[in-house]
Amino acid sequence: MSAATAHEHAEAHGGHDDHHEHHDPFWKKYIFSTDHKVIGIQYGFTSLVFLAFGFFLMMVMRWSIAYPDRAVPLLADWPWFQAWLDDGGKVTGDLYNMFGAMHGTIMVFLGIVPLAFGAFGNYVTPLQIGAPDMAFPRLNMASYWLYLLGGALMFVSFFLPSGAAKAGWTNYSPLATTTDLHYGDLFWTGQTQWLVAMALLISSSLLGAVNFICTIINLRCKGMTWMRLPFFVWAMLVTGFLLLLAFPPLEVAAIMQLMDRLAGTSFFVPSGLNVSGMSFDAAGGGSPLLYQHLFWFLAHPEVYVLILPAIAIVAEIIPCNTRKPLWGYKTMVYAVMVLGFLAFIVWAHHMYITGMGPAVSTFFQTTTVLISVPSVILITSLLISMWGGSIRFNVPMLFATAFIPMFGIGGLTGLPLAFSLPDLHLHDTYYVIGHFHYVVAPGTIFALFAGIYHWYPKITGRMMSTRLGHLHFWPSLLFMNGIFAPMFFQGMAGFHRRAFDGGKAYEQISQQVFAEPNTFLANIAETLNVIDADAPLRMIDLNLVTSGSAWLLAVFQVPFIINLFLSVFVGKKVNSDNPWDATTLEWATPTPPPHGNFAKEPVAFRGPYEYSVPGAPRDFTPQFESNPALTAGSEHDAEPKEEIAAAH
Amino acid sequence: MEIPYEVTPRRDTGLYNAKLGVWLFLASEVMLFGGLFSAYVFLRLGVQEGVDNPWPWGVSVHKDFVWLGAINTIVLIASSVGVVFAWVALKERNWRRYQIYMYSVVACAVIFMCIKSVEYYSKLTQHHGIKLVDNSVMEGKILDKTDRIRFSGEKLTFSLQGAVPAAIRDFDGENFPKFKVTEGPEELVGAEISSMSQFKSWFSDGRRLVTNQLTEERRRFRGEMAAGTENPKPVSVVSSVTLTAAEPFGVTGNPRKIMAHSESAINYRDGVKVEGKLVSDEVQFEVHEVDLQLVLPTKQRESVVWSVINDEPAKKQFFDAQHKKYEELLEYYKDHGGVIPESQLRGRFLNVQYVHVAAEGHEGGHGKEDKHADVHTSETNPTAGGGEHEGAHGPSRILSVPRDQIKFMGNHGPRYGTYYAIYFTMTALHGLHVVGGALVLLFFVVFGKKLYLKNPEHLANRVEVGGLFWHFVDLIWIFLFPIMYLL
Amino acid sequence: MADASHDMTKTKKSYAAVGIALLVFTVVTVTIGLAPIFDFGPPGPDGMDFVLGLAVATVKASLVALIFMHLNHEKGLIYKILLFTVLFALGLMILTMFADIDPILEQFETLQTTRGWLTEKP
Repeated sequence: MSAATAHEHAEAHGGHDDHHEHHDPFWKKYIFSTDHKVIGIQYGFTSLVFLAFGFFLMMVMRWSIAYPDRAVPLLADWPWFQAWLDDGGKVTGDLYNMFGAMHGTIMVFLGIVPLAFGAFGNYVTPLQIGAPDMAFPRLNMASYWLYLLGGALMFVSFFLPSGAAKAGWTNYSPLATTTDLHYGDLFWTGQTQWLVAMALLISSSLLGAVNFICTIINLRCKGMTWMRLPFFVWAMLVTGFLLLLAFPPLEVAAIMQLMDRLAGTSFFVPSGLNVSGMSFDAAGGGSPLLYQHLFWFLAHPEVYVLILPAIAIVAEIIPCNTRKPLWGYKTMVYAVMVLGFLAFIVWAHHMYITGMGPAVSTFFQTTTVLISVPSVILITSLLISMWGGSIRFNVPMLFATAFIPMFGIGGLTGLPLAFSLPDLHLHDTYYVIGHFHYVVAPGTIFALFAGIYHWYPKITGRMMSTRLGHLHFWPSLLFMNGIFAPMFFQGMAGFHRRAFDGGKAYEQISQQVFAEPNTFLANIAETLNVIDADAPLRMIDLNLVTSGSAWLLAVFQVPFIINLFLSVFVGKKVNSDNPWDATTLEWATPTPPPHGNFAKEPVAFRGPYEYSVPGAPRDFTPQFESNPALTAGSEHDAEPKEEIAAAH
Repeated sequence: MEIPYEVTPRRDTGLYNAKLGVWLFLASEVMLFGGLFSAYVFLRLGVQEGVDNPWPWGVSVHKDFVWLGAINTIVLIASSVGVVFAWVALKERNWRRYQIYMYSVVACAVIFMCIKSVEYYSKLTQHHGIKLVDNSVMEGKILDKTDRIRFSGEKLTFSLQGAVPAAIRDFDGENFPKFKVTEGPEELVGAEISSMSQFKSWFSDGRRLVTNQLTEERRRFRGEMAAGTENPKPVSVVSSVTLTAAEPFGVTGNPRKIMAHSESAINYRDGVKVEGKLVSDEVQFEVHEVDLQLVLPTKQRESVVWSVINDEPAKKQFFDAQHKKYEELLEYYKDHGGVIPESQLRGRFLNVQYVHVAAEGHEGGHGKEDKHADVHTSETNPTAGGGEHEGAHGPSRILSVPRDQIKFMGNHGPRYGTYYAIYFTMTALHGLHVVGGALVLLFFVVFGKKLYLKNPEHLANRVEVGGLFWHFVDLIWIFLFPIMYLL
Repeated sequence: MADASHDMTKTKKSYAAVGIALLVFTVVTVTIGLAPIFDFGPPGPDGMDFVLGLAVATVKASLVALIFMHLNHEKGLIYKILLFTVLFALGLMILTMFADIDPILEQFETLQTTRGWLTEKP
């Protein structure tokens, strides 16, 4: 397409006249666009906004935990907050529940998944397989707009009289079924809108997943055989299947809960349910356990939807910056497929304390321990990939490097939760919070930051500032750990995740449980010498560390935001289409890539990570360069394989 | 660069994009309906005997609907055959035949949805049930929406801090009553309201006023607290308002939204109170069947249901029928182990019997001491019991069921039990698929001519892909029909 | 897939045959549900009907999938995708079911609360 013109106008936002063939008006080119790159950028911005909003909700919650006796600063005079703060300006339980539920929902469904899968997946996948666009560009646009609609609905629900959803991001029945039922207009309650918005988000994800899988299977360019796909594409393929097959049961659950709320059915309402001392007016006969099964059938694979793109981004950045091939590429591919398969049969490890019976628990313990094997393979391969390399520690590499230990901590602390016995103690404590936030926050989010820094020059034609990048990275690393590391200790001491006034409630309970002599737990604590009488106080003090770190972390995101926006205009211009000297196909396109992506039809001549090939003139041999002398070193077969390998 | 493989299949996968996309979409649909079927199995197996509402086991309860379901199955199969023949017609480049087949497919979809609506209408308006306090159930029909609470209101009291009161949706008649604000914040007292839209704008103004007052008060309170004032005056803002109507207005209250009601007031769940006079809260019911599955066999003769029905012949009718079936079971189990299993003893076979309460002055209408003034009669013949009880016994007496004896009541809508819930959810979702699929196919035939002339193969591909979806919809129905209607 | 028009006659014949088979099977399903001839157990409908009914439904579904949906012509890719889909759907169904039927738990269930009234006749 218009390669030359794209070169001259390197700025992404430089003007609407970049491509002389298309005289599309602004709204068609940047708003209702069917170009996968524009949609990717739309996904990126929207999800970053939602990430910031989710972060804000969490900072209010952290205030309530750290200073339960003080009025919330700055917010107490806002009219909206009047219904949710008490007379002294302190956070009420309702507000905490609402923000807690929405923090989880927004971060997972509106923040990270759209950023990882929607933004990076959309932008990078077609480029890496040498496709002109996604297989169904209009479907792609539809899935973004459905996502935006769902997100807007979630956001609007805060301003309903009932407020947003309050029953936790898991929305367990019967709590979620019965919350806010006294409102006259049941449809316009936050709890109902959560379900409607989820149905929209799920539809969006399903369309997206169909599109991704279809693109990867059918639109690979000439020579791009299965084992020449970059690992990122493999991860996107598996992620696509996870979304495609795991989301529908949640859609079922959302529809059923919607029926429970609006039509008065009893899918999740057991017989004889009492709410606030009154018998609940429903036929009964349903099962709350059913909801949990349907919910976690999605929500566990969702965890891998969160982490696989992150691992994939890191797997692109590490070989590029160590100038070495990815260690164990094939092993990683098979591991990711096994992971995808196992992800579907581990869900009930979230439900050990529901009383679903020992046989099922045993089954899920086994599969849960099994799934740690492919995870460890992936992370070990990444680690070994760095061994002996001469590493370029640029900003993306810093984030990618930090990802590995952070994800490691998150993963390893999950092992005790995999067994039903320790889970009895740790369930719903801050230990669980610490565990999955280590995976998602310093894990996935760091990888996503790495991705932004890494592909920014391709998207805009300019580099992001390294100095601001360092100012962003080091404090973030410090404060991320400041937030989540104390949670493990608090959790092991029994600090419950839903205690809205944090310390006060915890102190009261722990005084009764641990400090009163001769109670069962006090005896155990004394025998094991783990928790002494002063422990609760020490644990409460840790709240300040966590909350303080959270606010400081917010402060140190400012350099990133400045960097993201200012670099578009003042960043250093890239001097080639391939500024990192990388090997994969996205670097073969003009910068920024025009509509239709490639100037001439791309062909993949070799595997994706041919760095430092012996005898090659440079330390990288891109997939898209045909040099017969170099292809000899390729270990991969050139004939396109007829079949998709193994699992997916 | 054009997007490749839009019409021609890729060599190694053997698929063009749209076909692969639809198959993937169908995979997710398999999971969607898989989740629903899982829920079906889970809910059905999870019924606790004697606690949960039993599932209507087998055809005995909805024989009338089996034929509708069977006809629908045939209609869908016919439409599936139509789609494949339409595709063949396109492959043979015969536009006329393609049109005929496609339109007949869409017609099938319309017939399917019509039959479905008949079924829904019948379930939602013709069949009701009342569960009494001891879990005995009367099946029959609630007359004239008498499950609602009829009330004549004079005053409406609610808070300006919450949502718009639910009660205003229950007002009778076209005209919104003329209200005057008699109590509440000073600024609002005296205002007059005479329409729904006026009420809504008045309400949001009032809410803003109260919120602002609250913000001010709290700012003062926090200021005094921070300044160390001893015993600062607590925050107090009047947010409750009372509206008095010029003349009494009718209220037909939905019991699900009402927490309690008395002769002089209704308390809604959202805290709204309507004061006035109760007009009537009697539930009028025509009983067709008595279901004692949830009552212990030893307690059945003393069940509350008999004091509500208050008719000896009807009671005798029930237990005679039960005894006859018991003998039948004994006969069968004599050769099969000698013991009647628990599930049979507590099941529908023994414990659900047809009951006819004859109206006064008709055959069987004797033995009633209670000469209640409002005994109505109905000339309709009960049909819910199915064909076995045809030609039954003249008009029925309409029971007046006291509200305090009722634990749960409603039509056979999704609310009535987990079977009805999953029935309505699955068939409605399936119906949505039928409508969606039919619209797409209709699009292909109405607007397909241009593409047909340009690239008939592309249109054939589209029809094939739309057909794949349509067959899937048929396939789901193939499973839905037996598990929802027959087994 | 048949492309040339001459083997379309064969395709049409097979479609018509499948259509008729589906109608016949529908009659069989209704008969299983309604007619006492299939009641192997005690009076009234029972579990055997369910198994038979589902078996017939499965046969019908496979006919639709294989012939109408052209699965018999497809390459391995779709089979693999569908295989895993069905596997996960069954996994969801079966593993959820085990919440009610727990083989380990059943060994410990010695309390049968409803024993008492069983001895009495209604």
